[in-house]
Amino acid sequence: MTGQDSIDVESLREEFLGQVFDEYVFSLDADQLAQYAQSCGETASKFTDPNDPDFQAPPTIASSFNPRKAYPDNFPSFQGLGMDAGKSVHLEKPMRAGEQITAKTSMHDIYTKSGRSGRMVFFVNRMTMVDSQGVVLGSSDTSVVIREKPQEE
Amino acid sequence: MDHPIRVSSSERNHKKSDKDMAVEKISDVEFGEVLPAFTPDTSLENVKKFVSAAGWDSPRFTDHEAAKEQGLPAALVPGIMSQGFLSAMIHHWAPNAEIKMIDTVFRAPCLVDDQYNINGVVTDIDTEKGSVEIDLTVTNSANETRVFGTANILI
Repeated sequence: MTGQDSIDVESLREEFLGQVFDEYVFSLDADQLAQYAQSCGETASKFTDPNDPDFQAPPTIASSFNPRKAYPDNFPSFQGLGMDAGKSVHLEKPMRAGEQITAKTSMHDIYTKSGRSGRMVFFVNRMTMVDSQGVVLGSSDTSVVIREKPQEE
Repeated sequence: MDHPIRVSSSERNHKKSDKDMAVEKISDVEFGEVLPAFTPDTSLENVKKFVSAAGWDSPRFTDHEAAKEQGLPAALVPGIMSQGFLSAMIHHWAPNAEIKMIDTVFRAPCLVDDQYNINGVVTDIDTEKGSVEIDLTVTNSANETRVFGTANILI
């Protein structure tokens, strides 16, 4: 694809939406969770003190998780500046230090917005976290936007 | 059955200004209430602590000169740290709040060592579900919005 081609959003949606392209297992370290929370200004001991009986990850921790691959295999590359457009976290249950977490990432959405400077294409990856019993802990959406060059008439 | 109280943002009226007690139950929450502002620690030392914990260590966050060499005005506060500041503000206001959703848009960068305010306004209350929606912003000293978003919490 060249910079002059427009991105075929419909065909990308058909081919890639919902496809899980990355999966890995990890666990969270208590001291790192406490440090994360303290640096963000959390003061409640359930976030800052690993000895608290209800110690848990701060709610936004999932935003820091990165998939091992940014896009599915065979996903085309595009010219233009890709920018982080935002992060969204949905939580079902608190994440705890030491528990085994499986993170699965899929292409959740591809959509466009048009403005005076041309069309912008948004790619939304969704990472879903489940515990060792398969219970969903939450999900994190990462949006990246690419601004297309206007088409020449 | 009674319907939950739901009020639209267009009905927003401005709140009691002297509220400084922590919110403990849904009936403590007022529509249009402005959450106590929070000035976060954006020092280089604290950002280093954050990126180390997050596994996001990069010179663009921890070194002003290296960031400038990448074409940035200075080292950046990671967007996810701004999201963490917003979450902390909610907990300062309502210590028992359970954040179910937080959605943030990074409109413009926040710079390390600059001063920011972390702001929130209650825009919706559902007493039946015990849920509250909050509009969120991170503003700089010129009152320009750098990050905005919404959160949905249970109290």
